[in-house]
Amino acid sequence: MATAGAAGALGLAGCSGGSTGGTTTITVGSVNPMSGPYSSLGPNQRRGAELAVSQINANSDYDFEFELVTGDSETEARAAQDEVQRLVQQEGADFIVGAISSSVALGINEIANSSEFVYFSGGAAVPITGSACNPWVFRFETNTAMIAEAISAYSVNELGTNVWFHYADYAYGQSVYQRVSQRMANANGEYNETGVSTSQLGASNYGSYVSQVSNSDADIVVLGMTGGDLVSFTNQAADQGLTDDKIVIGPTQTFQSVLAGTGMNSVGTYGGVRYLPTLDTGDNQQFVDAYESEYDGSPGNFSRVGYDSLRLIAKGMNEAGSTEVDDVRDTLEGGTYETVLGDITLREEDRQATNPTWMGEIIDDSGSPAVELVNEVPAGETLPPASELGCN
Amino acid sequence: MVAQFVEQLINGLTLGMVYVLLAAGLSVIFGVMDVINFSHGELFALGAYFALSIIAPLGSGIGFWVALLAAPLIVGVIGAGIERVTIRPLYGRNPLYHILLTFGLVLIINDLIKLVWGTEQQQLVVPDYLTQSISVFSIQLSLYNYFIIGFAGVLAVGTWLLLNRTKYGMIIRAGSQDRQMVRNVGIDIDRYYTLVFGFGAALAAVAGIVLGGYQSVSTGMGNSVIIPAFVVVVLGGLGSFRGAVFGGLLVGVVQTMMRVYNGTTLFELGGFALTIPNLQGLTVFLLMIGVLLVKPQGLFGTRGDESEGGEGEILVGSSGGLLTDSTRTKLGILFIAAMIVLPILLLFTGSRYYVLVMNNILIWAIFALSLDVVMGYAGLVPLGHTMFYGVGAYTSALVMLHFTSSFVVAIAAAILICAVIAWIVGSLSIRVSGVYFAMITLAFAELFYNAVFRLGFTGGSDGLLGFEPTMGIAGLGVPLSEISFAFMGYEIEQQIIFYYIGLLLAVLAFLFARRVMNAPFGSVIQSIRESEERAEFVGYNTVKYKRRAFVISGGIAGLAGGLLAASPTTFVISPDQTLAWIHSGEVIVIALLGGMGTLFGPMLGAGAFFGAEEILSQYTEQWRMIIGIIFVLFVIYVPRGLVSVPSLVVQRFDRFGEGGKPGIGIDESEVQSDD
Repeated sequence: MATAGAAGALGLAGCSGGSTGGTTTITVGSVNPMSGPYSSLGPNQRRGAELAVSQINANSDYDFEFELVTGDSETEARAAQDEVQRLVQQEGADFIVGAISSSVALGINEIANSSEFVYFSGGAAVPITGSACNPWVFRFETNTAMIAEAISAYSVNELGTNVWFHYADYAYGQSVYQRVSQRMANANGEYNETGVSTSQLGASNYGSYVSQVSNSDADIVVLGMTGGDLVSFTNQAADQGLTDDKIVIGPTQTFQSVLAGTGMNSVGTYGGVRYLPTLDTGDNQQFVDAYESEYDGSPGNFSRVGYDSLRLIAKGMNEAGSTEVDDVRDTLEGGTYETVLGDITLREEDRQATNPTWMGEIIDDSGSPAVELVNEVPAGETLPPASELGCN
Repeated sequence: MVAQFVEQLINGLTLGMVYVLLAAGLSVIFGVMDVINFSHGELFALGAYFALSIIAPLGSGIGFWVALLAAPLIVGVIGAGIERVTIRPLYGRNPLYHILLTFGLVLIINDLIKLVWGTEQQQLVVPDYLTQSISVFSIQLSLYNYFIIGFAGVLAVGTWLLLNRTKYGMIIRAGSQDRQMVRNVGIDIDRYYTLVFGFGAALAAVAGIVLGGYQSVSTGMGNSVIIPAFVVVVLGGLGSFRGAVFGGLLVGVVQTMMRVYNGTTLFELGGFALTIPNLQGLTVFLLMIGVLLVKPQGLFGTRGDESEGGEGEILVGSSGGLLTDSTRTKLGILFIAAMIVLPILLLFTGSRYYVLVMNNILIWAIFALSLDVVMGYAGLVPLGHTMFYGVGAYTSALVMLHFTSSFVVAIAAAILICAVIAWIVGSLSIRVSGVYFAMITLAFAELFYNAVFRLGFTGGSDGLLGFEPTMGIAGLGVPLSEISFAFMGYEIEQQIIFYYIGLLLAVLAFLFARRVMNAPFGSVIQSIRESEERAEFVGYNTVKYKRRAFVISGGIAGLAGGLLAASPTTFVISPDQTLAWIHSGEVIVIALLGGMGTLFGPMLGAGAFFGAEEILSQYTEQWRMIIGIIFVLFVIYVPRGLVSVPSLVVQRFDRFGEGGKPGIGIDESEVQSDD
């Protein structure tokens, strides 16, 4: 394993092994969907991780260096499981970050628990630090409950009380529906569920759904879908005039990848915001500057997840004074650190980062869509107690 | 109310026309050339991507129209090129080879698209005036809806006119009925086929552009349309363009109306109410199965039931007269001995991870073996075999989660349940043969895939987690994860234990299959493959034999799936991992790679496939493209698989004097003596 090394000589407690005279090198792994349905998102996550590694290695505050090994999850459970095990067994990684698909991430949860390595998940489904939580899984990604928190109360109080839900019939879509409708009902007594419709994951023709919503009395339509589904729906909704008639809200509406596929059709819609390069929180601006000079374009949500997941691990190592995975794990749990989103705490009960979230409106910024923040839910107010989310 | 109904009807028509657009190119190519073009989806995507590149410099106003004209031309030329180089050598062969070849093309084209245009999602910008929303008698839709309906209509009519009212169309249709006769009359039909394939590719590209503007452009768009396209073509009738149009409209309208009005009570009689069920997603496949069972030629099909696979037969691998039986047995024993020693070697060289790779290979070797029983021996080509793999995996996982974690029980349950399902599915499927059999098994597999998403106990899209096998039964035994002992200083833990169990089961499965195939049963099965008519005339109940072969095959595939669930490196059983249609294609490819009809060939093929994937993925991100190229080359030049390579090499040297190249299979069956 690569954790042994010069640690003893440099006074990092808890490490064993001989001295090589130089710094300790820790192997960290990044598993990202570079192919498969999420192949447009994986590269960003990986770039964030790569940037973090180069910054950490150049930073004299850290007495160690990271060596990054990568794997392609192919957005599919078997491939992801095999890759993670290759990184852990063959490459010697004790720390893994990544994944975007929740079913992939849940599989990695299990491996982390049985093989005992620290895993910073990039999936957004609540069960990852909820009902499927375990002591080895941390998450710097913002989960769907937190996004629901950002969009629910504001929408039902400010935008309208008659709500139509349309979601893709799979885990993510179902969770959006359940959480948002629940939060809306709690926030406003006049909330009324006008209707619900579901589509199949991967469907690409939403004309009839758009018509249904259009012909209803709803003020708002909440979309429980993401990726290609959301793009197709938004495009067709705009074509049919729905985005003008009703207020369309999608938790992931503001994502770079979605805007890339919808262009100006998104203008006038609302969405949850997990991250924006324009945020002035924490040390975000240095991240954005470094990212823009290294790569084409600005960082998006997945980039910052890859980036700060690794930085958190490094900060945990520094604080623990050890690169041993058990010590780092113990230190990270419950710790508070600075990130691009400001100061967050990795909650002791479920190791979920207490990220702030926002609601944003898509506006026309001289011919291109841009996100304007309209509401913020501060860090620490976005999450219900861990037990409510299923982690005991 | 009426306005809403009409609005939804037009939505259904739009969806229907979308299907027509998708199916048109596929129908033309199949109807005319008997080629099942799996790469249809990727040609569709290519059209959209080329359009993007054309629109970028020209702007969406005029760029869209230029793209609509130019991109299909480019893709048509590419299609013609593909036909000339890869498909032309395969005429006369069983349609299976077209499926395999075009499957390889999918991998190549998809990776090329990613290489050239990147993996980001993109928007195909359509001129503003086309996408406005318009309101007619309070029916509010987008102008683009009407554009799709109109454009597709014109395209369909134009294609129909081309096929039925022009001289060229007549030649092409004549060629699809009897190629040889057309040649005899003096027409070079092969040249026309190149044009037809190009035309089909162009149609696919047009669909990609029109639909790209309606949805979005991404690297997965081809994959998402290929199954619906097949469904529509089958429904309408393979070979009937008119059928494809009608099938598309039917599916679109029925699907939409059923979804919108689901739950509505149609009428009540006594206490019984007939309501429209919510079958979303399942509708198309149920329709497809229904049509295939009732009228396999489809609604408008004109073909008789001659579709036992065209003129060609399935080329089985054989090492010919190169090796004697005793040599083969000795080689087999040597090989097994090597496999027994392998993990120790891997441990010594510190490559413990490769035990995991070997475990995957063993599971797929058993899966491929199961396919060989039904494909290489019985001659049935199922395009949905992954359903048994998936059901086996899910059954095992569910047993381990809810009943007992006993490995023995879980595996036995998997085999049993799969055998039962194979019996049911087989009974229904073997009523049709050839291409129709392939399609109906595909439909069943898709039914399972969709069902798993919606049923609660299967974990939906997330799948099942948290199961673990115990080596033992009825409460006596120890969990696999706890087995560990030292051997020569190395830890023998669960992955290695599992390897030996898997190896044992693989060898047992192989011996079992071989025993069955060497028995009279096997001879009857093979005679059915060679000529079902003859076997019937001799007096055999071919239906019963085919079904039994299918059941045996299903059971063995269930074993593979059960092993997947029990594997210590499997933590999740999810739908994409076990039931996605692409796995049915992969296992067929593996069987071909190894050499069908030999039982051990496909098992070797599994090793070759995963070994190649493991090695290639370390060197390049485009490893799928390379594997695709290897497939294509194998399909054309080494159709009998790896096991036939020794004899091919020998033949090449033998014929060296005559200056000929080894036959690519069509004549070989007469020359070679399979024992």
